[in-house]
Amino acid sequence: MVNRFGTDGFGAWLRRQFRVIGAIARKDFLVFLRYPANALMSVVEPIMWLAPAYFMGQGFSVDGQAIGFAGFTGTSDYFSFAMMGMFMSSYISTAFWGTGFSVQEDMTLGVLEPNWVTPTSRVSLIIGRSVIMFLLTTLNSIGVLIVGAALFHVNLTGNVLAAVITMLPMLIALTGLGLGIAGVVLSVRRAGTAIDISNWIVVQLSGTTFPVSVLPRPLLAVALALPTTYGFDAVRSILLGTRTMLPLKVEIGIMLASTVGMCAAGYAVFKAFERRCRRQGLLGTH
Amino acid sequence: MSKTMPHTVRVFLAAAQRDFRITTRYGDFVVGMLVWPILMPSLTVFAAKALAGPDGAGLSAFAERTGTTDYVGFVFAGMVLWMWLNMVLWSVGGALRSEQRLGTLECNWMTPAPRLAILLGSGVNQMIVSVIPVFVSLAVCTAAWGVRFAVTPLVGLVFLVSTIAMFGMALAFASLVLFLKELNAAVFFLRGVFMVFCGLTSPLAVLPPWMRAVSKALPLTYSIDLVRRLSLAGASYADVSRDFWVLAAFAAGLMVAGCLAFLIVDRAVKRSGTLGQY
Repeated sequence: MVNRFGTDGFGAWLRRQFRVIGAIARKDFLVFLRYPANALMSVVEPIMWLAPAYFMGQGFSVDGQAIGFAGFTGTSDYFSFAMMGMFMSSYISTAFWGTGFSVQEDMTLGVLEPNWVTPTSRVSLIIGRSVIMFLLTTLNSIGVLIVGAALFHVNLTGNVLAAVITMLPMLIALTGLGLGIAGVVLSVRRAGTAIDISNWIVVQLSGTTFPVSVLPRPLLAVALALPTTYGFDAVRSILLGTRTMLPLKVEIGIMLASTVGMCAAGYAVFKAFERRCRRQGLLGTH
Repeated sequence: MSKTMPHTVRVFLAAAQRDFRITTRYGDFVVGMLVWPILMPSLTVFAAKALAGPDGAGLSAFAERTGTTDYVGFVFAGMVLWMWLNMVLWSVGGALRSEQRLGTLECNWMTPAPRLAILLGSGVNQMIVSVIPVFVSLAVCTAAWGVRFAVTPLVGLVFLVSTIAMFGMALAFASLVLFLKELNAAVFFLRGVFMVFCGLTSPLAVLPPWMRAVSKALPLTYSIDLVRRLSLAGASYADVSRDFWVLAAFAAGLMVAGCLAFLIVDRAVKRSGTLGQY
């Protein structure tokens, strides 16, 4: 019997998908290694963005303690707060740029159509890219964290393993988001500005460098609708001992629910736009 | 001379007109130009608001170091001027490199048109376009946050001198990028240096001494400081005259350095024949 998994069953189908994911991840890793200047800048540039945050914190501090900030968050260590925010927001940027927007780069280079006419799952092609991008982002962010901690004072006192486990649902949800964005980019094409602005808004409104409670009501409503806001809040409370907006278990529950929701929505959006592009023959155009 | 001058002006205007058409051709660029100046400083202000605290506990420390409690105007002035520099680096600084990638640089430079006039014409258009976000940002700051920036002839003069300094720097940068053949990393690095050292969101007093010394060697530091003091703190010419003339000296020096760098690159690429390579 031939079904969507082929004649050899689900196990063989799954192995094939892993092979595709592995091949794409390997290809993107080789491309990454080919441009060492970009790799170096990916560590240096976040430090350059962190430095103004550090000095701005110092501008409002007394004896190195951001006393005003403690009134909002429960910690006077503003730099560690911002550093953790930057660490987690790099995954959001990866979903927008590394996964979603990369489809446009493939289009521009002319390799999207040849890859997509092969008998592989297009979703696996995108997931393969997500996997390597998230791994590279993790390595890069750890590098930034180490350099940042050496240059400035970072004080993470909480349980790192618990924080990593708490972050996992957020990362899976972001893979779903990246898949959906890839679908939209397929159809929209010149999506650079839209991706740039959307990425910045989601990163900032998730509370990268400030607690979302300082936002005016309309923006606060948007921030509270983003699952990443709860992810940032939960991880910070574990690592820095900040006050959470909701009980920690509730925040984790919201993240788990959003993981399912965002993956399902991302898949549906991607498939809808992919079908439309195939029907209209738009894959090779840009 | 009488023939050369009108010819040069015509080339200059043609380059400016061409770039203006390209700029207005792409709607997403115009949207970005209007949205970024609102988004970036506004969201940075929320971080300052968080640092000030719910009861303003952090404000006294800020006021002690800056002489003002108006952190919104302080942050906006720094961010807006930095964003302006960022735009100028991408547009003017990237002008030659973009043409090189599009394949039009070699063709244009083969014509008997003065090459410096092409670059200056293109750059002047980009400079005019890049001023628009500055005004959008300051208008939003006034409307949304109630910050009043005093607009005096002296503030206008500071903007003009800053424009010349940035333009000169971008000309030198454009020439350098032709050699490096990597625009993105070069812009990220240079704008990062200004971001770290120029006191965008913090008073220079919180920087360590060696960083303060570096900041004094960057023209943007003077532009930001002068705008803050003249527009927000109500300083007079007598209060800022020394810094104003330092900025003017930077402007003159950078403009000469920019033109010289271009002439050197022009000669070098003609000799090496690398103009068309990327």
